[in-house]
Amino acid sequence: MSVMAAITLWLAVSGQLVLYIHPRYVVFTVIMAIMAVIAAIAAVSSPRHHDDEGLPLPPRRSRAVGIAAAGLAGAFALGMVVIPPATLSTATAQQREINATASDDAETLAEASVADSATVATFTVREWSTVLRQTSDLAFFDGKPATDLLGFVTADAEDPDSIFYISRFAVTCCAVDAQPLGVPVYLPGWAELYPPDTWVQVSGPFDSNPSRSSTKPVVLIPDRVEAVDQPREPYLF
Amino acid sequence: MHVAWAVGATVVLAGLVAVRAFTAEQLDPSIPNPIQDLLTLSTSVIIESLPFIMLGIALSVLVQVWIPESWLLRILPRNPWGRRAVISLFGMFLPVCECGNVPLARGLVRRGFTVSESMTFLIAAPILNPVTIITTHQAFGFDDGILVARLLGGFAIANILGWLFSKHPEPMSLLSGRFAEECRIDDGHGHGRDRRQQTLDLFVRESSILMPALVIGSLIAGAIQVIVPRDVLVALGSDPLFSVLAMMILAFIISVCSNVDAFFILPFASTFLPGSIVAFLVFGPIVDIKMLALMRTTYSTRTLVQLTTVVALLSLALGLVVNYLA
Repeated sequence: MSVMAAITLWLAVSGQLVLYIHPRYVVFTVIMAIMAVIAAIAAVSSPRHHDDEGLPLPPRRSRAVGIAAAGLAGAFALGMVVIPPATLSTATAQQREINATASDDAETLAEASVADSATVATFTVREWSTVLRQTSDLAFFDGKPATDLLGFVTADAEDPDSIFYISRFAVTCCAVDAQPLGVPVYLPGWAELYPPDTWVQVSGPFDSNPSRSSTKPVVLIPDRVEAVDQPREPYLF
Repeated sequence: MHVAWAVGATVVLAGLVAVRAFTAEQLDPSIPNPIQDLLTLSTSVIIESLPFIMLGIALSVLVQVWIPESWLLRILPRNPWGRRAVISLFGMFLPVCECGNVPLARGLVRRGFTVSESMTFLIAAPILNPVTIITTHQAFGFDDGILVARLLGGFAIANILGWLFSKHPEPMSLLSGRFAEECRIDDGHGHGRDRRQQTLDLFVRESSILMPALVIGSLIAGAIQVIVPRDVLVALGSDPLFSVLAMMILAFIISVCSNVDAFFILPFASTFLPGSIVAFLVFGPIVDIKMLALMRTTYSTRTLVQLTTVVALLSLALGLVVNYLA
């Protein structure tokens, strides 16, 4: 536990704990990790008592399973130490199906319909995916371009040559519950310029989908696409 | 000598952190995406669970070492049904999520509670606790009776299961062999040592038992999440029976904490029937991959199979009733 706790503290100090859990749990997690480290050091420095003295040895098979479990746990702890932290990738985005759980929140749509241009410019993948799920009326999108929309590139399943998703994971608790959200972008030959998993910023208007093999009625037609570094908080919280 | 051990342990931990910091800057291991995601998901489960395990161990130590035995036993009714009913409300005062309840349940058994009472606590506490109630209300309000069904369902399942296992003629055989022996040995140990020493010994013992189980459970949960396509489950959302089964499978796989599972499942509410949402919210906190690995430290495999079967059937029935009524 002390190794896991020490690594948790390092992740917190280096600002990478948010790759794994929601920011609201960071303080609680850090406090408990500090307690675990202190308890571990205190336990090591105190005289040892073996409460399991007198316990009969478990059967050979149980011992083998126990040793294998401890070995696997140790190997994983070593992996946590050596392998650099990483955000979830396009593999999980595609496996969980982008926008499978995009919101039907009518309030977001109502607010978007009357939002001024400054507000529209702040919309993230979350707001746009909510809007696109509820309307394909081109008049709605008139004068409402996406501005510096940030996300990573994921291929569209229907037309992978011409359309990619600019995608983000929405997280409520930790990476385990991450739900992929995305906005379709029409850009033939995109993969040669921006391979999957590349973080990009995209600006441009929404229009009817020129693709013949995709069923999405509305897509983003980019004026500008720029490769950028992964942000410090890659998930939408 | 003891100071030297403390300094040595601190240096080792600092060394690990240094390696961690160095490899983050220098290493580019180019791991395939599915493997990298498996590691990220498994690490996420561990980091999310770690503070609750630590809190659970702290509360377990509190119950076993620092609170006089008579205090706990005095507040409980003598009637078994009343006693289990009160125990199922312990979570209102100990708002730890399900993984933290495992060390606490172990502590209760060592403190003289029966095995069936520890199960009642373990099942009810993650659902009947203030954090879970608040987050479920924030997510669903009182829509479709989801919140009420979750609370009443969790209470009923915990007490039915406690009653069923209380009928067992040899309750200690429900425990894993190792834990049963520990309970037996506990009766003769520990009373000669000071409380600080008992606290540290318990911390070492509980963390060394629970952490390997947590890592194994997290790895399996991460692997299954990477392998099983989510759209297969989502496609079953509108069928009264299969939607409930799909949500129970999802709860089993996802192993998300009960304190926030309502927020996780909220986006599914538009495509899934209310009964399936209730089944997710009741079944998940009791039985999932991570919890089975943790509970195996305490109960026998046979007991866990029986527990899983009963809870699954009761959750399924609850989900179907809610689907019928909603």
